[in-house]
Amino acid sequence: MSNRIMIVDDNEYVRASVEIICSSAELDLTSAASGTECLGHLESGFKGVILMDIMMPDMDGWDTIREIVARGLYGGNIIVMLTGMGEPDAKMDGLQEYVSDYMTKPFGPDQLLDSVEYYLTLLNTPVASDEH
Amino acid sequence: MSIRNLVVIGVSTGGPFTLKELFKGLPPLDAAFLIVLHITPTMDYRIAQGLAAVASMPVTLAEDGEQLRNGSIYLAPGGFHLRLDGNQKVVLCEGPRVNYVQPAVDVTMLSLSRQPRGRLIGIVLTGMGKDGAEGIRHVKEMGGITIAQDQTSSTIYGMPKAAAQTGAVDYVLPPKRIAGKLMELLPQVG
Repeated sequence: MSNRIMIVDDNEYVRASVEIICSSAELDLTSAASGTECLGHLESGFKGVILMDIMMPDMDGWDTIREIVARGLYGGNIIVMLTGMGEPDAKMDGLQEYVSDYMTKPFGPDQLLDSVEYYLTLLNTPVASDEH
Repeated sequence: MSIRNLVVIGVSTGGPFTLKELFKGLPPLDAAFLIVLHITPTMDYRIAQGLAAVASMPVTLAEDGEQLRNGSIYLAPGGFHLRLDGNQKVVLCEGPRVNYVQPAVDVTMLSLSRQPRGRLIGIVLTGMGKDGAEGIRHVKEMGGITIAQDQTSSTIYGMPKAAAQTGAVDYVLPPKRIAGKLMELLPQVG
């Protein structure tokens, strides 16, 4: 039963607030300050719900997802985008299948936990075959 | 046995939660429900199971060659486009992405024909892009009833907006009221 969450955000205050929310719900939080750090955690075997900021320096959220897919690291994860913007731009084209949800900052604890807990439930659903 | 009523739903980002909200209050209805969600093969079964946990009707992944049945919900699997033959038989097909996605809502909706005896209903819910817009126009041309999710309740108001902008949408509603509209339009079973 996985209860793993990864917050990917260059803003330390956002990471800290997610940490507080997750600790109150006994979720196992991994923190990444960049897309590169996120990829490192995935290469090390992270599987869970990824809360991905869009606007990050160097590698933004969309480019990070493209790299996750290119490296074959998507399986076993669910990605929820976090953004301060109202609507995504055209950089999302082609990534719709990999982005399950989209949450606008600031978000409240209940909103975050409802989302994360539902997606963890989906990830923990046993499947006959995970090879695809 | 042929289905009398058919509901085809197109949805993308924000879909898992929105579908849960739509179906959790819906009683078994005399229709087959086909959902085209932009999804990967790694997640399709899990999404179907998540929906099955709240829906009053059985939820399965649509299989190639399968005949849709009344009172059932089908989710198009990831990695294929899905066409309906005669509004009833599932045809899974490979091929290039359409509107950057696979499965594409437009592919499924554009495969629909007039529903001979009952209702054809097309719905476009939250999602980025314009997939489903051409499809919803086609559903309207086939004599169907068309619904788009409203802006306030949409996680991303892209697909429903594009559908509404075709001028072919009959109702613009939030998920709970879409459920209410379906209960108005379709008889209950059981």
